[in-house]
Amino acid sequence: MATAKELSASNNVDNTVVGPSILISGRLTGDEDLTVRGRVEGELTLSRTLIVEPSGVVKANVAVRNAIVSGVVVGNINATESVELTREGRMVGDIRAPRVIIVDGASFRGRVDMGDVEPGRLPAERPAVVRPTAVSRPSVTPARPTIPAARPTPPPPPSRPTPPPPPARPSAPAATTRPSAPITRPGLGGLGSKPLPPPPPTRVERAESQAEQAGAAEPPTPVLVGAGAKKKVVVKKKTR
Amino acid sequence: MANTVIGSSIVIDGEISGDEDLVIQGTVKGKISLKESLYVEGSGVVEADIETQNVEIAGRVTGNIVASDKVELKTDCRVVGDIKAPRILIADGASFKGNVDMDMKER
Repeated sequence: MATAKELSASNNVDNTVVGPSILISGRLTGDEDLTVRGRVEGELTLSRTLIVEPSGVVKANVAVRNAIVSGVVVGNINATESVELTREGRMVGDIRAPRVIIVDGASFRGRVDMGDVEPGRLPAERPAVVRPTAVSRPSVTPARPTIPAARPTPPPPPSRPTPPPPPARPSAPAATTRPSAPITRPGLGGLGSKPLPPPPPTRVERAESQAEQAGAAEPPTPVLVGAGAKKKVVVKKKTR
Repeated sequence: MANTVIGSSIVIDGEISGDEDLVIQGTVKGKISLKESLYVEGSGVVEADIETQNVEIAGRVTGNIVASDKVELKTDCRVVGDIKAPRILIADGASFKGNVDMDMKER
């Protein structure tokens, strides 16, 4: 507000004025304040302040240091310092400036880009923003363990059903071990297989079951598993 | 003077039209058409065709001037172009190159 008053006051001194009945179409550049009471169309570039008064209409892409819009602006404003839409200001277009002031009563449609937030503002804004997020984050971090825990827990149930098959496997393990034993241990399996097999087969079963659960990393194991499954079925039939 | 003023650091490339007095202290290229008076001050540079009622030139003008009333070339002005107006005044010290036509149909 103060800046607007100061600027408008300084502008009254002696500067470029486009009167209410004047139409300028084309490119307008300058290094001084410009007051538009008439109409400017095209391109407007100033190294100082553009003031669009209530009777002023600017249909142009505007590049200035400051812009004070009390009239109508259709087009984009790119200001190195500030853009102010006053109560009577109406604008359609995009604003790009580090300081953008839109007063109550102004009408505006377009995008506003204040650029990268100034380093001075960052600590002020971020803490405010971060604190809620930070609060949520701690909650999230504990939540994450619970969530992963929850996620694993659901899988276990399915895995638990899978264990039931193992119980079925006890009958199968014998089958699996039997074929696997003869395959792996063609000569030795025949004699010591009865006393010794129970521990090793279980280990083998566990290994195989782990391998199955793991998803059969090795190609040969799936083949064995497939063979074991078929044999399991055969065993079940035999048991039945 | 609450009229339109084009300040000394202003450059306009395009067209200016209007119904009021225009004071040019800066640079205007293109075309100017007014129904009132045009004042090109000492610092003013105009490279444009001008169509107005009155013109007072103290600066530099390159282009054709058509005025329905009067064209006045003041001291130290530099004008290149044709001037067409019922009344044309060229002051001592003015520099001018071009045709002058005072034979207006409106006469």
